[in-house]
Amino acid sequence: MSAPAAEKTGSTVRRDPHAALEIIDVSVKFGGITAVSDVSLSARRGQITGLIGPNGAGKTTTFNVITGLQEPTNGRVFIGEREVSHLPPYRRSRLGMARTFQRLEVFGSLSVYENVLAAAEFHHSWSDDATPPRLVANEIVERVGLSTVSEERVDALPTGIARLVELGRALATRPDLLLLDEVGSGLNHEETAALGDLMIELTRDGTAILLVEHDVELVMRVCDRIFVLDFGRLIANGTPEQIQKDPAVQAAYLGADTEEQK
Amino acid sequence: MEIFLSYTVVGIVAGCVYALIATGLVVTYNTTGIFNFAHGAIAMVGAYTYWQFQDDFQGWGINPVISLILVLFVLAPLFGLIVERVLMRPLQGASVDLTLVVTLGLLLFLVGVAQIAWDPNVTRNLPSFFNGAGFNIGYVQVSYHEVVAVVATVAIAISLRILFNNTRTGIAMRAVVDNPDLLAMAGGRPVRVQQLAWALSCSLAALAGILLAPINRLDILLLTLLVVDGYAAAIIGRLRNLPLAVGGAMAIGLGQNYLNGYAHSGFLNRIQFTIPMIVLFIMLILLPQDRLKTASFSGAVAPRVAGLKSSLIWGAVLIVGTYLVSLSLSDINLRTGASGFALALVLLSLLLLTGYGGMVSICQMSMAGLGAIAMGHVASGGSLLGVLAAIGLSGAVGALLALPTLKMRGLYLALATFAFATVMDQAVFTQVFGTGGNLAIGRPHIPGIPTQSDQAWMMVCCIVFTAAAVAVLAVRRSSFGRKLVAVNDSPAACATLGVNVNYTKLIVFTSSAMMCGLAGVLIGGVTKQVDALTFPALLSLVALLLARVGGINTATGVLLGAFTFALFPVFVPHLPHILHNQFLLTGIAAVSVGRDPNGIGGRIAEGAAYLRKAFGMEAKPQFVATGPVAGTAAAVFLEEEANLVSAGR
Ligand SMILES: Nc1ncnc2c1ncn2[C@@H]1O[C@H](COP(=O)(O)OP(=O)(O)OP(=O)(O)O)[C@@H](O)[C@H]1O
Ligand SMILES: [Mg+2]
Repeated sequence: MSAPAAEKTGSTVRRDPHAALEIIDVSVKFGGITAVSDVSLSARRGQITGLIGPNGAGKTTTFNVITGLQEPTNGRVFIGEREVSHLPPYRRSRLGMARTFQRLEVFGSLSVYENVLAAAEFHHSWSDDATPPRLVANEIVERVGLSTVSEERVDALPTGIARLVELGRALATRPDLLLLDEVGSGLNHEETAALGDLMIELTRDGTAILLVEHDVELVMRVCDRIFVLDFGRLIANGTPEQIQKDPAVQAAYLGADTEEQK
Repeated sequence: MEIFLSYTVVGIVAGCVYALIATGLVVTYNTTGIFNFAHGAIAMVGAYTYWQFQDDFQGWGINPVISLILVLFVLAPLFGLIVERVLMRPLQGASVDLTLVVTLGLLLFLVGVAQIAWDPNVTRNLPSFFNGAGFNIGYVQVSYHEVVAVVATVAIAISLRILFNNTRTGIAMRAVVDNPDLLAMAGGRPVRVQQLAWALSCSLAALAGILLAPINRLDILLLTLLVVDGYAAAIIGRLRNLPLAVGGAMAIGLGQNYLNGYAHSGFLNRIQFTIPMIVLFIMLILLPQDRLKTASFSGAVAPRVAGLKSSLIWGAVLIVGTYLVSLSLSDINLRTGASGFALALVLLSLLLLTGYGGMVSICQMSMAGLGAIAMGHVASGGSLLGVLAAIGLSGAVGALLALPTLKMRGLYLALATFAFATVMDQAVFTQVFGTGGNLAIGRPHIPGIPTQSDQAWMMVCCIVFTAAAVAVLAVRRSSFGRKLVAVNDSPAACATLGVNVNYTKLIVFTSSAMMCGLAGVLIGGVTKQVDALTFPALLSLVALLLARVGGINTATGVLLGAFTFALFPVFVPHLPHILHNQFLLTGIAAVSVGRDPNGIGGRIAEGAAYLRKAFGMEAKPQFVATGPVAGTAAAVFLEEEANLVSAGR
């Protein structure tokens, strides 16, 4: 199926035909504030794509537009070849997309295991994956390293662990496209390293990951490509090496140095 | 033209009263963030107090002007201060749920107080100002009472505008809800400001009540609910914008009266009283709702859900226990027991909808009423077909009501369902039953099973409730139950995991309405007839509060809540006379025990878990939340008591 967008002006046709995700000219205004301004980016299968920028740059808002929780003022969203700009969030997810939330959205009154199980059951109900949800849940809880707390109620857990629950929940839907919004914050050095390994492992199965992360070291280690936002605008994109040398990026981060270190 | 003018005059006056009500609501909402459901009841008490002061025969015969000044400028503000100090100040930063419970509890409490102080069976009259004197403009009669209403409203609107826009206090009042801490730092004192708001709001309510009562009738429930009509105007102003609210109030007042004047018969005439509620409902649909996102980590720690084995065992215990008790009960107490179980089924529908699903509803009794209507009309009122029709009709209406309300949460959903319940009261039940009329409801004949005696009917009610409770608990443990809790905890996360949140909510809302429909059959079967007063909106409100007090997330809790209410006639002789009112007691329970989100049932679950631990049993308590055991114990105890009382008579 070709993109039904072809009749639009040249600038709104997809630019990256191999992308698992592509957004084109997305803008979001909240009243007078422009949170996101004409942002276009893409994420490829089997790669980790970084989306970085100082606080308030518009990263989370971009995620909300992609998942359909935030209506953009302008712009289009494609998952694979399919334009999803007008689909409700749940229909977009069913195309194989899952995410985590920076401001936690866990199922607080369920246990860790039940959080993951619920997600596996959701997936079971709308996909043709016949694997029993309990098997999926067991495997994922193990894989993200939550076995020791699997019976705990999630709202009693520290934020760092709760973020892993969100990761596990997202993975339980077997996504082809995974959006991670600062999953690593609240983890110690070793846990962060393990998280990085897990992400790389996931990309080997062909998963596309879009990663928002303040931990520069982690971003530089795992990302294949990085997009940089500042004040809602895309100021750079390229490989980690290119981004590290980019003067615009350095300026943006110097200007917002203190916040970036949070 | 004369007709037009006279309806315009009446419409403007009605609009003014609505505007006063809306203004009072907006003032407290703006400064404290609390929507005061009890505003109507405060207006009602204000009107009655004024009557008490100035009535020459049954009252104290004090000069009307002095009475008015006393009520509006002394008693009402004082009452506002007390309410602020005792109930509202502790609600700072509380969840919407809790503010709902407390303000609804206050509403019932005031209705109860009024019913005790002013016997509803005695007719009272509140004269218009100047005893109804007036003048004519052409052929149109205008009373001084109406002039006072308009002048007072205009004066108040202007002074409030000046207060809010041009004085420090007023600006502080507007700022306080957005950021009380900031205001405190800047030297404003939020407590002062909030006290002022409640005092002002209560005065406005009392004035509205005093203006409204002579135009209509001095009647406790009528006045309380008439004032609720003014809520629509407040919502038009989005609870914040006074000019918009006042404009909305005028539009509603005029629209309602033109309808009265020009649609003399037929559908439009019949619905004229429900116009404000319909407007309220539509405004709630149009209002921008909170985004899908909600805060997590807000859910109270709910008691563990019982397993299948334990819910079956304790269900059996409940049924056998009830049977044993039923052997020694008189007919009247058998009917009391039956209505207890029927009410428990209504509350059980709230366990599913609100306890698990997080959706507040104040129209469950109306759904039960629909069930009773279907039962009474299908196959001469006594067949299983009627039961199916009851479940079907309630379910269908539930689904229709759910569709526009799916996006609403908390306060908005509460208001919308309450608006629906009021419309059912005013436009449907009175029409179907006719004023003073009733509908015969039979107990369905089931081949081979006795259902006709009072004892048999009590057992039917008990078994139906138990089966439904076991089923609801099973649903909660199933994957659908997990989905329900997940949707409640975070609709946003569910949507990004591929869940059709609206569809899930629709299913729950519909199932819950179906349970109410079935409860309607049971309720109708107890008295064998129902009328326009069997399923009033106020009782839907009572049901919600009872469930909250008993424990809205345990089966034990809802059973307990229902029986506490149903057994009222049994234990009331033991209470001091001043407490002899169901509404009063429910209100008191709501504002005290109701603060605990898990209610009494939650405490019982905790206690049971503690005991099991103490006796060294499995640490993971299995039966805890079912605990119909507690329900049984309470039922057995109270019904023995019931038997003694009726035997002793
Ligand atoms: N719902 C909203 N209403 C109004 N403004 C908003 C809303 N959501 C975000 N904003 C604003 O949009 C801008 C971008 O916010 P966003 O959360 O997307 O940034 P971010 O890059 O994720 O920042 P952080 O690194 O702090 O997470 C900010 O200025 C924020 O205040
Ligand atoms: Mg963010």
